[in-house]
Amino acid sequence: MTAVEEPRATQFVRPDGKEKVTGAGRYTADLNLTGQLVAKFRYADHTHARILRIDTTKARALPGVLAVLTHEDVPDVRYGGMVKDRRLFAKEMVRFEGDIVAGVAATTGEIAEQAAALIEVDYEPLPAITDYEAAEGDDSALVHPDWESYEADDALLRQGNRLGYSTIVKGDVDAAMAAADVVVKSRFVTDPVQGVPIEPRAVIAQWQGDKVTVWTSTQVPYAARGGIAHTLQIPESQVRVVVPLLGGGFGAKCDFHFEGHVAALAKAAGRPVKLVFSRREEFFAVGHRREGIVIELETGARADGTLLARRGRLVLDKGAYCGEGGFFAQMAAMHALGPYKIETANIESSLNYSTNQPSSSIRAPTAPQVCWALEQHMDELAEALGIDPVDLRRRTLVEEGSVTATGQVLERIAMKETLEKAVALIDYGRELPEDEAIGVACGWWPCFTANSGAYVKLNGDGSGTIITGAQENGTGAVMAMPKYVAEELGMRPEDFSLLYQDTDAAPSDMGSCGSQTTFNSGRAVIAAAVDLRDQLLDVASDKLEVAREDLELVGGSVRVKGSPEKLVTIADLAGSGTFHGKGAGEIPDSPEAPAEGCVGRVGLESFHAPQLIAHAVRVRVDRATGVVRVLQVAAAHDCGRILNRIGADGQVYGGVVMGIGQALSEGTQLDEEGRHRNAHLTDYKLVTASDAPQIDVAWIETDTPNAGPKGSKGVGEPPCVPTAGAIANAVAKVIGARVRALPMTPERVWDAAS
Amino acid sequence: MSVTSFSTAGSVDDALAALAGGARPVAGGTDLVVGARSGKSTLPASIVAIHRVAELHGVTVSVGGLRLGALASHEAICENEEIQAHYSALADACAIVGSHATRAQGTVGGNLMNASPAMETGGPLICLGATVTLRSADGERTIDVADLFTGPGGTVAEPGELLISVDVPAPADRSGSAYLRLEYRRQMEIAVVGASALVTLDDDGTVTAARIAMTALAPTIRRVPEAETALVGSEGGPAAIETAGAAVAAAASPISDVRGSADYRRAMAAVIAGRAIERAISRARA
Repeated sequence: MTAVEEPRATQFVRPDGKEKVTGAGRYTADLNLTGQLVAKFRYADHTHARILRIDTTKARALPGVLAVLTHEDVPDVRYGGMVKDRRLFAKEMVRFEGDIVAGVAATTGEIAEQAAALIEVDYEPLPAITDYEAAEGDDSALVHPDWESYEADDALLRQGNRLGYSTIVKGDVDAAMAAADVVVKSRFVTDPVQGVPIEPRAVIAQWQGDKVTVWTSTQVPYAARGGIAHTLQIPESQVRVVVPLLGGGFGAKCDFHFEGHVAALAKAAGRPVKLVFSRREEFFAVGHRREGIVIELETGARADGTLLARRGRLVLDKGAYCGEGGFFAQMAAMHALGPYKIETANIESSLNYSTNQPSSSIRAPTAPQVCWALEQHMDELAEALGIDPVDLRRRTLVEEGSVTATGQVLERIAMKETLEKAVALIDYGRELPEDEAIGVACGWWPCFTANSGAYVKLNGDGSGTIITGAQENGTGAVMAMPKYVAEELGMRPEDFSLLYQDTDAAPSDMGSCGSQTTFNSGRAVIAAAVDLRDQLLDVASDKLEVAREDLELVGGSVRVKGSPEKLVTIADLAGSGTFHGKGAGEIPDSPEAPAEGCVGRVGLESFHAPQLIAHAVRVRVDRATGVVRVLQVAAAHDCGRILNRIGADGQVYGGVVMGIGQALSEGTQLDEEGRHRNAHLTDYKLVTASDAPQIDVAWIETDTPNAGPKGSKGVGEPPCVPTAGAIANAVAKVIGARVRALPMTPERVWDAAS
Repeated sequence: MSVTSFSTAGSVDDALAALAGGARPVAGGTDLVVGARSGKSTLPASIVAIHRVAELHGVTVSVGGLRLGALASHEAICENEEIQAHYSALADACAIVGSHATRAQGTVGGNLMNASPAMETGGPLICLGATVTLRSADGERTIDVADLFTGPGGTVAEPGELLISVDVPAPADRSGSAYLRLEYRRQMEIAVVGASALVTLDDDGTVTAARIAMTALAPTIRRVPEAETALVGSEGGPAAIETAGAAVAAAASPISDVRGSADYRRAMAAVIAGRAIERAISRARA
């Protein structure tokens, strides 16, 4: 191997960039197998109904149909990450628009569709339970009458339609509220928002003997493998999940969803089966949306701004099924506190079933909605106190040594620094035209620790291959791994290929969710590289007859420190033996949080290595129409050490633009029965590139205790968290009124302004 | 239903023969194909592609007026400097249809014959007094764009008729026109409320003629005579513009749907119409 350049510290071109940009890349829907059939689903004809009879005779008789499956044709098991409340095919009941009653595999999509329509289903329609706030009432009909018999996580404190309940309690709120100089109360409601990855979901399954290979557009291949194995009652060793290029996920492709249906159809048909969703199916699919939330907040403060008491009541719409989202109640409660010093608190958070579409972990689940409400509430408090909103935050944000309401002591933490940086970047306080204003919002988001494992092997010519279970969902977190490995080995990133997104290749991995790919999978890959480096040093030490500690890996060689001409190239070493490193790395300890008196604890009472965010946003409001244009966003983040600046900046650009959509135009409208009214991209209004504002990014790099590899924290989800809140505060300044429903559509802004 | 017959016409006569046999024409496909893929409508059983018919192409500006071939793309129209200067409302409209891709692919003929009450080009063409030439195997006729639409998706064209061209007379001297719509975002929009205005001034700056049309506010795009009356004889000042805007709001019969409530649409009708008129007047003065 010839001399190489040092890896550049901050700039890096990702290996999948060129194929994605040029169109050469192949996504799941691009794959075709010999003899492949097309799958279509028969969806529920009512959003809530008892199934009386299913007759597939006519569908099975249609020429070209090779398989028709209902609940009778698959093992009688329930599944779901935190509550096992779902089946592949609906049995007694359908509970939302996208519930799957039957699946068909046929030679063409048209025949499959025709067959799905020929399935006769008799129902006893039941009243839809769309009002998730009323659903927790004692007299409400139950979405899951058998909820008590379901296997579930005990910490959820389930009760009827309430599938999760969590509180945060600190001190005597009533007394503190009574002693406050100022008390402010607010109520906010958010509409459901969709994840909308541009690539629709696609799944292809092919059996060879007892083994099935499933190519699928999932963020979580190992969860998909586990789900297939569980629902089909086969060992995981008989299931291989491969993810071709993934065209975005945003959490909508978290969790196990449709791989089991397609694998079952392929087995029944004896041929490979392919499923590709239409955009409409994407929209009402399980897990494609964020939850709507009712948010009631009350805060008592001293005249100097000290936060004496916070009461909060949150009700979240989980929809028909839990999946892995049972933690949303506690997560929302933590965001109702926010990164603030509060002397007493009483937050109650309920996660309720309804017959609406099930929600999922869309990019920072629950946080953008609750932060939007809390940050408006903070501005209302500032107004009542006669304190500038930024000053109020200066006085109340957490800092090093602060103790949260759950009793977590925050160590090195740069919350206030992010605020100062954001307001400086946007020049807060400057003169603006009368239709413009700047709003500010702050937020936080935890890191998630998880097991991960990786291998790094050297090929005979001195190039290498990284084998990781991590999933690349477009963020570039996996694409940056060659950079970290190259840094450990004194090689170039382009010397390494990546084998990933294949459950037969690498140890189990949490997948692309929770902004933790670098934190956990990156840690494992670096550990594997260190293991490989040790192997190289051992062999080089023998070869060069120099002690290990006197050697270094630089420029593709192992060389003697101080005598760079004495070296052996890694290519020579690779040809002389077998080198493969493996690693998992050590998971950092999580900080303690006693959380006395708090119930519904699923582990989020302590925010591990929290990421801190402050956004300042300048908007222009057309008062006559209510149309809001975001002109400028200053985003300052404490995400620990930034390992890949270009990738991290990209996450902020994307997250901010996604946040603008949530703030202003994206909202699912449901009819009285809980059916989507705008399940298409014409009337579900994503923000376009033309709407993107100037975005200035600043990273406050702290040495965070309990951080991930090289001092890093997560970066993927935080940019979504405070964007809508900052926009809301700016809008309120222009129109002199609060918009209390999200999204803040032109009509809602106009309504509030007039 | 799936497509059973697809042919590509080399001439207008080829196309007319196919239409006489029951085929539907396709050019840009931005309505036909998108509608079918979204489940809004099914593809017709028989389709004739007309995009290669030379006679249907072209944008010609002359002293007397503007001739657009049915296949003139939105892009070609809005990039034409003569159209920007003298038929501004049409350029405004074509510049904001869909996305860059839609504008490059979509045609004025398709936009008109799709007859959406939210289409962009209809209002400007009505205000500008445009006519369309419809031809069938049996002959040819010319009708005003104002008389073309019968309701959402409906036109007076007979099944065998093909739109050949659009003719727009040159506006009088000291005229200005504009098209404006309410936009929730900057690209990929569809009109929730739109308004077109054409005004002509005399040497003193008095409005001598006005044509105002509203878009997405009634089953078809149509003129609002009350708004026009409010402007003619005025100096085109704020009071006259406000009265005209209010007349548009009063004439509107908006619906409530996922894009907005009827109340909001009606209020926006006044705002957007007022702004379109204001822009047309300022262009006439320039």
